[in-house]
Amino acid sequence: MMPDVDRRSELAKTEGRNHCVTCSDEAVPMRVVRIDELRDLALCQDAAGARSSVEIALVDGVRSGDTLLVHAGTALTRVEELTA
Amino acid sequence: MKFVDEFRDAALGQVLAGEILAAVEPGHHYKIMEVCGGHTHSIYKYGVDDLLPANVELVHGPGCPVCVIPMGRVDDAIAMAHQPGVIFTCFGDMMRVPGSHGTLTDASAEGADIRMVYSPLDALRIAKRNPDRAVVFFAIGFETTAPSTALTLKRAKAEGVPNFFCFCNHVTIVPPLRALLESPDLRLDGFIGPGHVSTVVGARPLEFIPADYGKPVVVSGFEPVDILQSVLMLLQQLSEGRCEVENQYKRVVPYEGNLAALRVLSEVFELRPHFEWRGLGFISQSGLKLSDAYAEFDAERRYTIPNVRIADPKACQCGEVLKGVIKPFECKVFGTACTPERPIGTCMVSSEGACAAYYNYGRFAREREVV
Repeated sequence: MMPDVDRRSELAKTEGRNHCVTCSDEAVPMRVVRIDELRDLALCQDAAGARSSVEIALVDGVRSGDTLLVHAGTALTRVEELTA
Repeated sequence: MKFVDEFRDAALGQVLAGEILAAVEPGHHYKIMEVCGGHTHSIYKYGVDDLLPANVELVHGPGCPVCVIPMGRVDDAIAMAHQPGVIFTCFGDMMRVPGSHGTLTDASAEGADIRMVYSPLDALRIAKRNPDRAVVFFAIGFETTAPSTALTLKRAKAEGVPNFFCFCNHVTIVPPLRALLESPDLRLDGFIGPGHVSTVVGARPLEFIPADYGKPVVVSGFEPVDILQSVLMLLQQLSEGRCEVENQYKRVVPYEGNLAALRVLSEVFELRPHFEWRGLGFISQSGLKLSDAYAEFDAERRYTIPNVRIADPKACQCGEVLKGVIKPFECKVFGTACTPERPIGTCMVSSEGACAAYYNYGRFAREREVV
């Protein structure tokens, strides 16, 4: 049945990204690959290997290798090691 | 990936499920609201609700920014998109939200230049590449997304980009929660608090929930183990007679929030006297608009928009779903006239919407129950 094929493709899309870019309350962890200090941006990579430029103005002292929580192209915080 | 895999550990999930079972009082029916759509999505995707005892019910809250945009604002967006010379930019899910005469996707088919972006920074880039066109960004979202829009506006001002405009529909999380708590037809035992909104605003703004309404709150992460642990923490508060804001998501949520982000927000935005929410009506001081210092970027000041209030379609019960009064499958049009391919209500559009999450994942569990 046609609708089922559509449904599967819809599900595949949802699965692929794991979050909704629109959702205001879902951010993704990304690793910093390189920093562009001049423009206050960082090149970051997500778990699936996709790279994008990220605003880092809201997080102090971002360095390569850090894991940042990124939402709509902006880093909101650094993900800290768990202590407990 | 680190910080992700360990929070999807099935064995740990089973241990927590066992502790939850031990913590519930038989005979008591617990109703816990997860405020944000990201949690709703995770709960259905990973089957978290299947691990909970039958007397622990998760109720879906109003925290999906796509779902709370009223039809009138979509009509306003479409009117802007049809203005000559405009490139209209928005997040993907907004393209499919129905207004009173179709969606932004329909407007695109009619010839409007509408482009999907992943961040406001992408929209600014489009503006810089098209200096002879006006580029409008459809800004939606709670305090998590608002800093991204604010930083982009600061950048546009600093770089002097005169053709970038923002149609601001940002909203804040506390007023709708208060409106919900005031609603007489709601009975809840506690809240799973928004994780990433709290990264920005901190956990402190949620303290009114235990203080004024006597309900415990646990700010939670989004992985299945996070959500199970938060449910357990809520049940422990209830059984020990405690009522406070706890932070399960310490790895990213500082109790005080992100002060730099809060500063940027207060510089770029100011509160509207009131803003309309789908299903919840007008809520005072719940929406943001551009401050006078950023008036030159305000699309609402540049374009005349219909600004008409449109009633939701009669058949659609998004309002009740958003308030947690009914479950998605209890809506008359769920899965029949209203599906993710042809949504009537916004809750079916975004993958974070309770109806879409239920349609994509949860309905299978329900089918099992019915059989």
